[in-house]
Amino acid sequence: MKFGIFYEISVPRPWTRETEKTVYDRCIEQVKLADELGFSNVWAVEHHFLEEYSHCPAPELFLTACAMVTKQIRVGHGIIVCVPEFNHPIKIAERTAVLDILSGGRLEVGTGRSATWTELGGFRANPDETKKTWDEFVHCLPKMWTQERYSYQGRSWSMPQRTIVPKPYQKPHPPMWVAVTSPGTEIDAAERGMGSLGLTFGGFKEQEEKVIRYRKIIRNCEPVGSFVNDKVATVNFLYCHEDDATGVGTGRRIAGAFNYLAAQLLAAREAYPTKSYPSLGLLPSLRQEASGPGDESGAPEGIAIGNPARILREMKKWEAVGVDQVNFLLNALETVPQEQVLASLRLFAKEVMPHFQSKGDAAAAAAGGR
Amino acid sequence: MPPRYGTLDLATWGKSAPVIDGYSTERWLLKGAQILELHQEIDDDPADALLPRTMHPVIPEYCIINVTHYPDSPVGAFSIGEVRIAGRAGVRPRGFVLRSYCNSEAARREMASRWGYPAAPGEVSIVIRHDRVIGKVVAGGRPVLEIELTDRDMISAADIQYISSMHLARNRQDQKLVLVQVDPEYTFTKGERGRPRVVTLDNDAFGAGNHLRLMNPIMASFATADVTMPKIRYICNPELPAMQGTTKVAA
Repeated sequence: MKFGIFYEISVPRPWTRETEKTVYDRCIEQVKLADELGFSNVWAVEHHFLEEYSHCPAPELFLTACAMVTKQIRVGHGIIVCVPEFNHPIKIAERTAVLDILSGGRLEVGTGRSATWTELGGFRANPDETKKTWDEFVHCLPKMWTQERYSYQGRSWSMPQRTIVPKPYQKPHPPMWVAVTSPGTEIDAAERGMGSLGLTFGGFKEQEEKVIRYRKIIRNCEPVGSFVNDKVATVNFLYCHEDDATGVGTGRRIAGAFNYLAAQLLAAREAYPTKSYPSLGLLPSLRQEASGPGDESGAPEGIAIGNPARILREMKKWEAVGVDQVNFLLNALETVPQEQVLASLRLFAKEVMPHFQSKGDAAAAAAGGR
Repeated sequence: MPPRYGTLDLATWGKSAPVIDGYSTERWLLKGAQILELHQEIDDDPADALLPRTMHPVIPEYCIINVTHYPDSPVGAFSIGEVRIAGRAGVRPRGFVLRSYCNSEAARREMASRWGYPAAPGEVSIVIRHDRVIGKVVAGGRPVLEIELTDRDMISAADIQYISSMHLARNRQDQKLVLVQVDPEYTFTKGERGRPRVVTLDNDAFGAGNHLRLMNPIMASFATADVTMPKIRYICNPELPAMQGTTKVAA
């Protein structure tokens, strides 16, 4: 199992130009350290208008900056909103190709469709249409990356024949993923041969059932791309500390801040009844798991907070249910000082990661962890 | 910077709060209710004054305007029209009822004493036409609310969900102000969605003054459902955030 870091880029009020810059600078510093420590991926969301919760509307810029200051870590869109009011598909193909070139072939392309009225309403996008446009986009993108000349006449967009340049550095193209929030979306991912980029926790049992369903279906998939990405990733909080009570307490503060912010958003389903959004999406699951009942220490099941031994136990359980990658949210609202976030990363890399990696990876983690 | 919370003036709003007879009401099953509901975004900052401190605003803030006809109840048929401000109590979506109007004196009395409905007397009606559904409230001889759903479109009733309400009421026993959480259960039999239109909204009639400014319309829905008015499970201290001031009063 591999480990990544996941960014919403949460910026507390008051928003001065310095607070925004400070948060971005801190994120970049964390990514540099994560790269040195052997974390496999950095993911960045695309969100708009989500006050304090996420100030990350241009992940391609953030990820480019990450790529420029790192050597190994893969940079991932988690996700690109595949809705025409947000992003034109030609621009997606072009931007991702350039980022793949600049990063030396380290790009992962997550796709999705937004789950909040806050965003969909802001772009005047029709919630009934987003699943259809997402499906259309993910079928088009690999062809735009790989065919020298491309033309398209579709439902939500079209283009005459042109040569879309440049092409991605990775051949045939970067791995593709689907954001999995609503129940059943893992099936959409499997049917298309795309990785399942989980953005909710669920319990171990729920996740295990999802993974079994996913693995079963992807064996007979019709891949949208030139190859199948059969990886399953999930998201988590991370706060690792030598003292278990401190780790759990601080981790719960991060989760609490995140949950408070998440609660303020207006889920598409709450505002606008549609079969296109059968659940409230990402946010309720995150809230439930992070604030749900835990053991005597107060740590909820599966959450990576506490001392290394506790976190190792929880991560082994995720590995056992078939998860390939766990991606960590490191902070929210700058609740935890930067030095503590970096120390948490170092301790996790030193004490936990070696139990999951090949010898080469473990050596890198140990070296970076000194 | 502290989180944003509602800034409702309890001294003013408390004067008109209904009196609730404790928290032990039995359930009411209200069969065949016709529910017209409209969602519309509102200007963010002024609307904070329309939420109690128990709640914090949702982004973007929106109001829920609802006209419901209950053809069958323990006190006979009645209709209610109300305006709510959507927000969050802790992490839960809730709508704070500014004021409602009800066309039955018996129902008005029961809804206030059992669930803390801030209901005033008014003529409330739903008109169903081929191309639209209209909800109206007339109070004191003048129209105070008229909403429309146009371009009627059938949807699965399972896609409709309503958020629970918070009612500011005064407990008869200790005379203290309390926020009562009312979370009816709905069994839908029919659902429609359409374009929303607010024809008339008299802010003063709903106690909103200049704090309620309608912005971007979201949608309107029209549903038929059996509604179970619940036992009261939670109450909140209106002066405290929900995380600190919520009390469970029944399982």
